[in-house]
Amino acid sequence: MSAFDMGRVARRRGTNFVFVALCGAATVIALGALALILGSLLYQGLGGIDLKIFTMTQPAPGSPGGLANAIVGSIMMCAAAMVFAVIVGVLAGTYLAEYGGRTPYGHAVRFLNDVLLSAPSILIGLFVYQLMVKPFHGFSGLAGAVALALLAAPIVTRTTEDILNLQPAQLREAGMALGATRAFVVRKVIWRAGAAGLVTAGLLGFARISGETAPLLFTALGNQFFSLDLFHPMASLPTTIFQFALSAYDDWRRLAWVGALLIAVAVLSINIVGRMLARPQARP
Amino acid sequence: MNDVATAPAISDQIMIRPPSDNLILEARALDFFYGKSQSLHAVDLPVERKKITALIGPSGCGKSTLLRTLNRIYELYPDQSATGRILFNGDDILHDRKTVARLRARGTTDATAEMQATNMDISLVRARIGMVFQKPTPFPMSIYDNVAFGVRLYHKKSRSEMDGIVEQALRRAALWDEVKNKLHSSGLGLSGGQQQRLCVARGIAVEPEVLLLDEPASALDPISTAKLEETLMELKSDISIVIVTHNLQQAARISDYTGFMFLGKMIEFSPTPDLFSNPRLQQTRDYVTGRFG
Ligand SMILES: Nc1ncnc2c1ncn2[C@@H]1O[C@H](COP(=O)(O)OP(=O)(O)OP(=O)(O)O)[C@@H](O)[C@H]1O
Ligand SMILES: [Mg+2]
Repeated sequence: MSAFDMGRVARRRGTNFVFVALCGAATVIALGALALILGSLLYQGLGGIDLKIFTMTQPAPGSPGGLANAIVGSIMMCAAAMVFAVIVGVLAGTYLAEYGGRTPYGHAVRFLNDVLLSAPSILIGLFVYQLMVKPFHGFSGLAGAVALALLAAPIVTRTTEDILNLQPAQLREAGMALGATRAFVVRKVIWRAGAAGLVTAGLLGFARISGETAPLLFTALGNQFFSLDLFHPMASLPTTIFQFALSAYDDWRRLAWVGALLIAVAVLSINIVGRMLARPQARP
Repeated sequence: MNDVATAPAISDQIMIRPPSDNLILEARALDFFYGKSQSLHAVDLPVERKKITALIGPSGCGKSTLLRTLNRIYELYPDQSATGRILFNGDDILHDRKTVARLRARGTTDATAEMQATNMDISLVRARIGMVFQKPTPFPMSIYDNVAFGVRLYHKKSRSEMDGIVEQALRRAALWDEVKNKLHSSGLGLSGGQQQRLCVARGIAVEPEVLLLDEPASALDPISTAKLEETLMELKSDISIVIVTHNLQQAARISDYTGFMFLGKMIEFSPTPDLFSNPRLQQTRDYVTGRFG
C-alpha cells in the first residue's frame, strides 16, 4: 500500500476535533440550563419546605398555610390518569406490535395515536371540557384525570409498541414452538422480556402529565379547600403554582416555588425508583 | 396428485427411504415461499420413528426453512407460506380445518384445498413436535421456570413432580451439574452454550414425540457437544429426532439417516453410512468429501 496522505489525516483529525467540540458545547449548554433550573428551584423552594406544606391547605394571603390540597389533588388525578393510561396504552401498544400492526386498521390506529401524541395539551383540555365539564355543568377531578390520561396514553402506547418490537422474534417462536398460544407467549415471555421498557413507557407518560397545567385549568379547575372528591373541582400543584406565581403576594409566590420543587423532586424520584425496579435481571 | 415421494420427478434425486410403515413425520412435495421467492422445491423428508435424521447442505440451502415448516412455526409471519403435505402420525398437519377453511375462503382452487381437513389444534401439535433453535432463546425467567414452561402449559404437576421433571430434563441436557445450585436465578445469566443446553432441556421436558434441532451445537464447546450428542443418542429410545448440522462428523456419528439438501431441494436421502461412504450423486460426493464450493 502507498504512503498515507498526511494532509487527509490532518483534515480528518481537524474535523473530528470540531465535531467533538460542538457535541461537548451542546452538552454543556443543555446541562447548564438544567443545572440553572434545578439550582433556582432549590434556592427558592428549599427554604419554604416545612411540615405545614404537607399538612395545611392553601392560605389566604398573609396567613400561614401549605399545599396539602394541591399535593393530594395532584396525586389523585395523576394516579387515576396513569391507571387508565397504562392499561389502555400497554394493551394498545401490544395490539400494534403483536397483532394488528400491519393491517389497515392498525396503521390507522398508529397514525391517530401519533397525532394525539403531539396534540397541544390545551386542546385536550378543551376537548374534555366540552365532553365532561360543560354537559354536567361542573369542573371535576375526574375530568382532570381524563384529560391527563388522554395525554399520557399515546405515549405509553407508542413506547410499548417500540419496546415490544425490539424483543427478538426468536423468543416468540420459541414460546409458540412449545405449544403456547400467541397471547400466552406475549403475556408470559414478551412482556416480561420488555418489562424494563414497559416501566419506562409508564414513566414517560407520567413525566408528560406531572407538570401539565393548561388541561387542568379547563377540567379540574382548582380548589382552595382540601378535597378527596373526584366529582368536584380539585386542586393540583400546577394550577396552584400558576395561580400563586402570578399573584402579588410574597408568601404565595414562595409557596409556588415550593410547589415547583415538589413536582421536580417527584418526577426525579419516580424516575429513579422506576429505573431501579426495571433494571434487567433484578427480578428473582 | 403428482406424488413425488413415490416417483421421483427429478431425475438427479436419490431417495432411499426408511420403511414406510414406521414413519412418524413425513414431508411430501413441500414447497415453501418467503413472500414470492421460493425456498423449498418439492422437498420430501421421511422421518423414521425413534431414529435420528440429519439434514446437511451448504448454507442457504433451506435446512432451517424445512425444519420451521415441520412444526408450522413459519406461520407467525403472514407472508410465508407452504404447500404440500406434512404427515404427522398419518395426519396432514398442513391442512387442519382452520387452514383448509381459510384456503377455501380465499378461493384457492388448488387441489390441496379440497383435500380432507384434519381436525387438530396446531398448538397441541407443536407441543408434540419440539424445536431447538440455532440461536439460544432462554426466556427472561429463572432456569427452573424456563424448563417448566412447556410442561405447565399442558399438565398440572405437583411441586415435587415438577422438581423431578426439571432435574431430569437438565440432566439429560448435560446442564444439571452446572446449575443445580442456582435453579432460581435467571436463565439469561448463563453462558451462550449453557443457554443452548437450557433450551434443549426446555424442549425435552415436555417429552415431545419429535424433536427438531437446528444446529444445536454451533455454540457449544467440544465437551458440551459430546454430551449433547450422547443425550441425543439416549433420547432416541423415546423421541424421533431431526437435526440440522454443519458438522459432517457429527451427522455421521449420531444419525441413522441423512438428507443432503442443495438449493432448496432434497438431493440425496439415504441411511447415513450409505450417504457418507457411497454418495451416489456428484454434488453429494463433493459436499461430504469437503470439495464443495
Ligand atoms: N426471513 C426470510 N425472508 C426471505 N428469505 C429468507 C428468509 N429466511 C431465509 N430465507 C432464504 O431462504 C433460503 C433458505 O434459508 P435457510 O435459512 O433455510 O438456509 P439454511 O440451510 O438453514 O442455511 P444455514 O446453514 O446458513 O442456516 C435462503 O436462500 C435464504 O436467503
Ligand atoms: Mg439455518
